[in-house]
Amino acid sequence: MNSLLPAQFVALLRREVLENRALFIAAPAVLALVLSVFALWAISMAPGEQLAAGVEYLSIMFDGLSPGEMAPMFLMPAIPFIMMLYACVLIYLLNALYQDRKDLSVYFWQSMPVSNLGTVLSKVVTVIAVVPAFYVAILFVVYLLAVTALSLLGLSYDVEVAGLGYMFMAAIFSLFLFYVSAFLAALWLLPTIGWLLLFSAFAKRTPVLWALGVFILLGLVEDLIFGTQFLGNWVESRSNFRQYIVLDFPMAMDRLFSYDMLFGLVVGAILITGAVYMRRFVD
Amino acid sequence: MEQLKRIILKDRYSLLVTTIVVYMAVLMLEGLLTGREARVIDLENPYFDFNVEDWERFQQTRDPSPDQA
Repeated sequence: MNSLLPAQFVALLRREVLENRALFIAAPAVLALVLSVFALWAISMAPGEQLAAGVEYLSIMFDGLSPGEMAPMFLMPAIPFIMMLYACVLIYLLNALYQDRKDLSVYFWQSMPVSNLGTVLSKVVTVIAVVPAFYVAILFVVYLLAVTALSLLGLSYDVEVAGLGYMFMAAIFSLFLFYVSAFLAALWLLPTIGWLLLFSAFAKRTPVLWALGVFILLGLVEDLIFGTQFLGNWVESRSNFRQYIVLDFPMAMDRLFSYDMLFGLVVGAILITGAVYMRRFVD
Repeated sequence: MEQLKRIILKDRYSLLVTTIVVYMAVLMLEGLLTGREARVIDLENPYFDFNVEDWERFQQTRDPSPDQA
């Protein structure tokens, strides 16, 4: 076995991050900035005493509470980031194996001593494990700045702020839940990831239209020829929003080792294998 | 097996078709074995009642007969 394989794979992951900084880092950072400015503007409308009373209320409410039990509450402010994550990952996957064929840089990358399997797997691992980490880091900064601002406001009005420490711990714990939710959601959506990568590798133009069009056509053809709706049934069984959020770690373990998750991994592996072989057909 | 591999990997179109066929075959087999069924779209609304499972009855109840027109 090539002893350089792990180092090669890490280099591939770094390449994905460097080439897609706008999607992975800039997009959530700009979203955080916009939401922070909006929140500051909204807060500035209220009188200082009212804000101080609000800070004291928060401090008393969170004082002594278990961060683990309060953490799911902090997934609510993370919802815009979750939506941004899905949108950015969708754009990334559609371009992942298409853009380098379009700008002909694929010839350079294929001259490197890296296999097609390594290249495709690096993109899958980027989506599953690397991208959520950037979002967690940005959310951490947002929560840290928010708690610092609230603490300073409370101290300036001489109100109790000790409970804000518990609130911050709950917010930090929610970041673990955010990462685990994103990780498990990506595994749950591995068939979708494989489908998008397959058409990203196949299409000469407009991979999004190919991916969507063939999917709709498949459903119609299945219904016309076999009179069944197994494709539609299967997609529908994986489309409940509760399947994408994890509120505690026992739930995460149950989700990870469920039959539907394991079957989805098998289906995703079929499509990703197709994408790996498709990579050899360079235009 | 080598012959089959050559046919599948002949060009991008044969590979795509093969991948999609295998994907659908696995899904349909799993659906048959586990009995995965469609959930009926059933909109409950006091002003409008629509059940796609019973399309023929819907057509009959909504079809204006000459004496009702």
